[in-house]
Amino acid sequence: MPVAAIVLCCLLGLYMAWNIGANDVANSMADAVGSGAISIKGAIIAAGVCEFAGAVLVGSHVTDTVRKGIVNPDSLAATPEVLALGMACALLAAALWLHGATLFGMPVSTTHSIVGAVAGFGVVAAGWGCVNWGKMGQIVASWFVSPIAGAFCAYWLFRFMNRFILGQKKPVKSAITITPYIVFIMSITVTLATIFKGLKHIIKDVDWLTDGVALAIAVGVSVLAAVVSRVLVRRVLADKTGLELTDQLQAVEKVYAPLVVITSCSVAFAHGANDVANAVGPLAAVIDIVKEGTVRMKVHVPLWVLALGGVGIVAGLATCGYRVMETVGKKITQLTPTRGVAADIAATATVLACTRLKLPVSTTHTLVGAILGVGLARGLSAVNSRVARSIFGSWLITVPIAAALCIILFLAGQAVLL
Amino acid sequence: MGLLDRLFGKTPFGPLVEHTRKVHECVRLVKPLAEALINEDYEKIHGLQDEVSRLEYEADKIKHAIREELPRRVFMPVEKEDFYEFLACQDKIADDVEDFAVVLLIRHTKVHKDLSGELLEFVGQVIRVSETLLNAGEHLLELVETAFGGVEAEAVLERVRQLGEEEWKADRMQRKLSVHMYEIEDQLDPMTIVFYEKMLHELSSIANAAENAGDQLRQMIIKD
Repeated sequence: MPVAAIVLCCLLGLYMAWNIGANDVANSMADAVGSGAISIKGAIIAAGVCEFAGAVLVGSHVTDTVRKGIVNPDSLAATPEVLALGMACALLAAALWLHGATLFGMPVSTTHSIVGAVAGFGVVAAGWGCVNWGKMGQIVASWFVSPIAGAFCAYWLFRFMNRFILGQKKPVKSAITITPYIVFIMSITVTLATIFKGLKHIIKDVDWLTDGVALAIAVGVSVLAAVVSRVLVRRVLADKTGLELTDQLQAVEKVYAPLVVITSCSVAFAHGANDVANAVGPLAAVIDIVKEGTVRMKVHVPLWVLALGGVGIVAGLATCGYRVMETVGKKITQLTPTRGVAADIAATATVLACTRLKLPVSTTHTLVGAILGVGLARGLSAVNSRVARSIFGSWLITVPIAAALCIILFLAGQAVLL
Repeated sequence: MGLLDRLFGKTPFGPLVEHTRKVHECVRLVKPLAEALINEDYEKIHGLQDEVSRLEYEADKIKHAIREELPRRVFMPVEKEDFYEFLACQDKIADDVEDFAVVLLIRHTKVHKDLSGELLEFVGQVIRVSETLLNAGEHLLELVETAFGGVEAEAVLERVRQLGEEEWKADRMQRKLSVHMYEIEDQLDPMTIVFYEKMLHELSSIANAAENAGDQLRQMIIKD
């Protein structure tokens, strides 16, 4: 029985990870593919590598027994088998919802799916009181906070880039002067995000890596990146200052193409590091419960489980992500590299800031908000407002639907198994 | 398929510039039309009228394609109303060219030799007005690139100001031509005068419509 349970749960975790790869990952690379900075094949490979690296290298090795502490495990300590069944159902419910969302092409949050599912189980198994409603409130708030914050940052960043580079008389010349500053902002955001969001789980083991040291490292790396970019940009653009305005603008966009690939990869890396836990967290909890026979607050996540999650994500990306990226790449041609860089930096910075404030925000939500922020700065030529509304709607219904699905599955499972 | 890619409608600015070009192609035919009239080559007028009609139809097709492909609820860097109004203004230019061609077609009006030079000059100016509009309109694509700001926006606004000036010149030429026409009214039969009036009216309508389109373009660029 225990072996069967573990194998079954591994399959569920794999299915969940597959869905994460299919639904989310293509979106993290959307800016790079849409702007034509990278081919679809290249994007799949880059995203796969970054996601897998993020998931296995820096994915959480320790996880709350119940995702994000949304349900207090103490209330279920007496009945570990109920908790194990609940976690399995939560995995299946979240994965089913994600699968449906992917079929309809809705970019929803994997974190919110699993949190909703776990909360649904908690309400049924242990009553309303055991659910951490403060945390739920934060999640509801994040539906509004993260897209708005992302949009706000992207709006000002793109306005800045437009004002000092694209809107100048000699955009190429301005790009040579201004790009190092943009690279500095980008680099400091990406480095800090990688340290705090990506590496945060192993930071605990490294004593000398305090916030101050991390900041110092980020500044040092960024200054270096800015200096290197200055040399490179100057070399690439030096003979292009005399071109027609249109050609100058194109030359500038070309310079930003590698940057949007870098920022998109960092989004994918951070995504892998964080979201793999949505698949392997509940799985690790079940394994722990089955092995130990008791319920603990936190459980260890074995490396093979993380790798399983990483494989699942890459598999989802490879099987489904191609189709998503192809459409994204063909349709989002309005998103030029400069716009993509602005949206990516804004999204990464917002997610970083919210993580530091311990707000559970979704990368997907923030990125969509950031893209719309570029639109607010008159950077996009046509955005379908009706679609924007239905995307927002899909975020709102994620938690309740995942919760309802999980409740149904749990009640059915309880009737059959326990 | 996916919501994220459907979020981005097809950019309507490329087709819009295509429309601008098509309309100007139409306006350019005013010159051979006037020349054919002066040469009393009515066969040629017939052929040119067909061509104007065809171009106008093609411009209409572009216009309808833009309207069909733009989502009903769309968020654009310009006001949607301003965008459609600009399209309508350009449409009006092509319509006026067609009307002018029809005026030439329905009656074999002869151009008095004293007037022909001034008429060609006026026609040339009308085309110049449309050319100035084309010049401004073609920069819309760069404006999209630069998010409707900065130096590029200034340059387009400057061209719109020029457009006003060219239209004013066209107005003056038309007045001069009218004065000249009535000075020699004894040599013209009343029906010919009626048709001269019609021609001049249509020609000045073309210039006026181009100026209106320019104003609408300015309105579109200056959002706030």
